[in-house]
Amino acid sequence: MENKEKDMTSQGQMTENLLEVNNLKQYFPIKAGLLQRVVGNVKAVDGITFSIKRGTTMGLVGESGCGKTTVGKTILRLNDKTDGEVYFNGINIFDLDHKELRAIRPKMQIIFQDPYSSLSPRLPVSEIIGEAVKEHGLIPEKGFNEYIDHTMKICGLQPYHKDRYPHEFSGGQRQRICIARALALLPEFVVCDEPVSALDVSIQAQIINLLKDLQREFELTFLFISHDLSVVEHISDTVGVMYLGDLVEFGTKKQIFRNPLHPYTEALLSAAPVPDPTVKRDRIILEGSIPSPANPPSGCKFHTRCPKVMDRCSKYIPEIREVEPGHTVACHLYYDHLETLD
Amino acid sequence: MSDEKNRLPDQSPIIEEPILEDIEEAEEGKMILDEERQEDIPADFQDEEMALDDARRIKSLSPGMLVFKRFIRNKLAVIGFAILVFMFTFAFLGPLFMPYEQDQYFTHVGYQSKDYAGAIYNTELRYTVADGEEFGSYERAQFLLALGKDNEIFSLGEDTHYIQTIADGTYRIIDLDKVAGELMRMGLTPEAGVTLPEGFEEAYFAAKDAGEESFEHDGVLYRISSEKKEIIISTEENIALASLNVFDPYNEEDLDVVDSFKFKLAGEEAIAAEMNEFTVENQSYEVQYDEGQITIFDAEGQPFAGVSEIIVNPLDKNEYLSFEFKSAIRQAIRDLKDRVVIPDADGTEVEYRIARVNANYYIRRQTPTALISIYELPSAEHPLGLDNNGMDNLTRLMYGGRISLMVGFVVVILEMIIGVIIGGVSGYFGGAVDTGLMRFVDLFNSIPFYPVVIIFGSVMDTLDVEPITRIFLLMAILGVLGWTGIARVVRGQILSLREQDFMVAAEATGIRTSRRIFRHLVPNVMPLLIVSATGSLGGIIITEATLGFLGLGVRFPLASWGSIINVASDPYVMTNFWFMWLPAGLLILLTVLGFNFVGDGLRDAFDPRMKR
Repeated sequence: MENKEKDMTSQGQMTENLLEVNNLKQYFPIKAGLLQRVVGNVKAVDGITFSIKRGTTMGLVGESGCGKTTVGKTILRLNDKTDGEVYFNGINIFDLDHKELRAIRPKMQIIFQDPYSSLSPRLPVSEIIGEAVKEHGLIPEKGFNEYIDHTMKICGLQPYHKDRYPHEFSGGQRQRICIARALALLPEFVVCDEPVSALDVSIQAQIINLLKDLQREFELTFLFISHDLSVVEHISDTVGVMYLGDLVEFGTKKQIFRNPLHPYTEALLSAAPVPDPTVKRDRIILEGSIPSPANPPSGCKFHTRCPKVMDRCSKYIPEIREVEPGHTVACHLYYDHLETLD
Repeated sequence: MSDEKNRLPDQSPIIEEPILEDIEEAEEGKMILDEERQEDIPADFQDEEMALDDARRIKSLSPGMLVFKRFIRNKLAVIGFAILVFMFTFAFLGPLFMPYEQDQYFTHVGYQSKDYAGAIYNTELRYTVADGEEFGSYERAQFLLALGKDNEIFSLGEDTHYIQTIADGTYRIIDLDKVAGELMRMGLTPEAGVTLPEGFEEAYFAAKDAGEESFEHDGVLYRISSEKKEIIISTEENIALASLNVFDPYNEEDLDVVDSFKFKLAGEEAIAAEMNEFTVENQSYEVQYDEGQITIFDAEGQPFAGVSEIIVNPLDKNEYLSFEFKSAIRQAIRDLKDRVVIPDADGTEVEYRIARVNANYYIRRQTPTALISIYELPSAEHPLGLDNNGMDNLTRLMYGGRISLMVGFVVVILEMIIGVIIGGVSGYFGGAVDTGLMRFVDLFNSIPFYPVVIIFGSVMDTLDVEPITRIFLLMAILGVLGWTGIARVVRGQILSLREQDFMVAAEATGIRTSRRIFRHLVPNVMPLLIVSATGSLGGIIITEATLGFLGLGVRFPLASWGSIINVASDPYVMTNFWFMWLPAGLLILLTVLGFNFVGDGLRDAFDPRMKR
């Protein structure tokens, strides 16, 4: 087991991308009737591809229900994927058997959106943080308590909080406990699933800064899922924009925020509030709401709401194109051979 | 890193504050601490000296402690808990202080009316047969026929019997042996082969002339009787005596003498003649008459026998009734009394009751017997009296409580085991397993409870199951029929817990399945389980009581509260002996109330939204 873990690490050192996601699909069956027959699928994630470089943060944005959280969970194999591959340190995590998966678990952690439901109410903080550490034998028995104290301290918790129970903490502190739980396992990769959206603004800033500090210190790689563009802009190196299970645009933070290509990204950015009343911007207001992922529109899924919709949008699914280095977009506006398609 | 260390402590007060404002539990913890703090910290210290993030400021309370605190604050729940503590002490420790066993019965000396003797006015002739003679039923029948026709003579083959009326209802039956006959005043003709003694003829004529019916000659008594035109002179031989009088010896050993033909004949003749004395075989006897009671004294003046028209016989053939007893009874019957006190052989006065049924009198004696004291009213020794089996009610209630409470607990534990396993498996694995198990639950839910239990009870009756085994089987059937509710609750809870983020987080951290179930899932199901178990405890005790009341539950000599109440199904007991059923009813009522209060209290205490 240990050898295997070492293998993984050594393998990992060689790959530049810590995480590679290839055409990942996650459908949830819709069952109906007396016999619970599958009558359709909710296409929560419908074939997305991206990679995250070691030590960087990828922001994943999109409106509610577009499949961001599902991506995060499926990457960690908390859901069983429908199709596609996820390579972590060059290892396809869906090829691992139960034991191997358990061994690799500490390396990839998740921080949830709701700090209230993500902590078991019947365990004291020290056990919440230390339980998995003990389980995997990451730290020798001798220094265990000091290690937990240390982890708590770097996450902004006091050692005397150890014996308390989650209900005795505020939301921000609970989120710190969640972070401590993830960090105590010495992960390489952490999925932050909207870790600050349940917190008020001042606490949000603390948590975001804490995450950034921790990333710097432990060379963490983050997948930062959020619908809050300003937070994503603050923390991310690269950004992916999701719409209805598709990754419609992907690029560096600069590319996305300075030069948004996809009409959806443009709309999103224009909707983000700017804390300066003098700045005037043209707002793009999207009509209607997000269509059902069980029955997505034909062609480009965004065509029902797109302000720049064309005839072909409803007919053909746009391919992902690299418009500039590292900046990909799936939109017919940037298709080279528009004429041939028509 | 150094940057980190500098920054964080500064921030912590800001972070700390929401604890005190947002979260009730924390606030509670603080409040408790505040109370404690005021005792040992001077008042002016309280605000300034205690930093907001001081460790002492917030006392760490485990969820269990919080539940306990909230529970303690609920008065009703505490009352319920106190009731339960009392019930358990009463049932499990109480018997240790009771001097009685649960199946120990109590007796008292009571008088039981028992038929002792019978008496009747004698209307049938009683026959005393002379020594060496026969007077069987044929002879008696002929005698009675003759008596009915007013004949003085009746023939039995060659013998001719003569009926001599001594008194009204007293007859002497004599066999006449013809010695001689005189036909048409033509002088005596001796019978063939008979030689008449000398002077016989003279004696005969003298008697005939005097108009006497008999004469004595040479020590032999001769009777003169006429048959058609012939006068017959015959010797007489005693055959029997028929009389309505009853002779009773004064002493048992004189029975033979009194019953002898000679004595009776002499006695009857004397009584008929109202003579005051008579002699039998050289013994002289004196007769006294006293209001229908005739007493015969012997030569020494001691009472020897009594003569009466009333027969008194013991119902037990082996019993000998003393003369005094018989006399007293006769006297009482003649006086039309219905009770009489007669001293027995030891001099103890015994009361007898005389009951008349048609012509018969029954003499009943009140015999002292050890009687089981049933339905005895409460007293110092038996604070709740004695029950229908003469057993101490309070002791029975204690032992009954043991069984009632034990049944409740064992059944709930059984229900929990089955319910948690089936509900847990169903909820944790979901899918087809869930569907299958839930249909199984539906199946169990559709079993009609009472018919099954009643059939089961009668099967146990048929198989003659031991009372103890019966209880265990009862527990088993109650548990097997009752787990479905708990299974559903557990399944629902686990289904919802399974999707909670902390379960996903536990999976993400790579904690093994068994630990996920027992460390994360089960502790979160426990509160619900405890609440639903406490709630159903009361219900099971009621069910057991119902079964006990219907006679399907616990069997004698064991008791349960339900079977104790069973006696109230007799309206007589219900209206007259409140102490038989009221205490058991109250105990059931209080226990179920207690369990419900505690259940409610626990539910509220486990619910973090409850402020109390």
